[in-house]
Amino acid sequence: MEVITTQEIAILVCAAIGVISAVRVIAERNTMKKLPFLNVLSFAIAGSLALLLPDPLTILAAAAYFVGTTLESNAIASSYAGGPKNDE
Amino acid sequence: MLEGRRTMNELLLGAFGALLVLGAGATILEHDPYKKIISLSVLIGGAIPFIVDRGLIDVATAVALIAPLSTIFILMAVRRAAP
Amino acid sequence: MPGDVESILIAAIISWILFVSIDLLFGLPKAGGVSGAREIAGEIEREGGSLHGGYMMGNIVCSPDASAGTLLAACGVYIAGISGGLAAAVLVYVGNRICYDRGYAGTTGALAATFLIYAFTTIGFSAAHFIAGMVIAILTIQGISHTHASRLLSRLWGWRS
Repeated sequence: MEVITTQEIAILVCAAIGVISAVRVIAERNTMKKLPFLNVLSFAIAGSLALLLPDPLTILAAAAYFVGTTLESNAIASSYAGGPKNDE
Repeated sequence: MLEGRRTMNELLLGAFGALLVLGAGATILEHDPYKKIISLSVLIGGAIPFIVDRGLIDVATAVALIAPLSTIFILMAVRRAAP
Repeated sequence: MPGDVESILIAAIISWILFVSIDLLFGLPKAGGVSGAREIAGEIEREGGSLHGGYMMGNIVCSPDASAGTLLAACGVYIAGISGGLAAAVLVYVGNRICYDRGYAGTTGALAATFLIYAFTTIGFSAAHFIAGMVIAILTIQGISHTHASRLLSRLWGWRS
């Protein structure tokens, strides 16, 4: 029985939450309500990146990924309304 | 860069692979363009851990910045096509 | 392993309290944020939720708030201690500027979380517990039931204002 490290448990938690929220993203019928589940997925993936490869550059990759998905969700939400982005 | 590190075991491979499959399947099967774009985000979210696990952090950062930008450009095209 | 599970749950509760209080402090449930948040709040209210809670959830999705700051700070502290957390705070600040965010909830959350998490690492926790804990915390708000979460957040907002 080998010892499970903290890092392995943490990344398994993140991956499990990622899969659950991905299923909920796809199963949800209302487009706007898909976005909070997608947000949870982004958290899980960003956390998984840091746990997979603990290198200083990974902080940059996780931050870039997270800010990217935030920008993307904002664009989807404000575009769905038919209005421009929030710089009017 | 940091090639050769192997932190991903089979469970993680299965989990992120499931994200890829779910994302790809939903992108193909959905009809509404906004739902397609959201499913595409699921697909990319599943792909990035594989890139980082291989040690290609620079590729991962580039993909993480370029993919949402492309999505925003697609959104602009979608809005023009279906006002 | 049992110690790890408890640590993750404790870290989840601490992260929840931290990011919710900072977001409430910065007025995220107030109306008039980014336009994307307005759409999401409208849909949540239409399905039985509460508007102010929906606004906060919409703002969490559409701009880097204290939850994002806490998560990235936890990643930073895990990789490189306090300097990693501060580097993550700088990146969150850049992200705030890119998203035209009107407040500094994200940067404040990242700074507060950096020092808090580092303090916890000195008493036996690992920053990895906080990474998993923060993901659990955001799951409870954004990933289980939007109507119930929005009502809870609206009630907390009522206390604050």
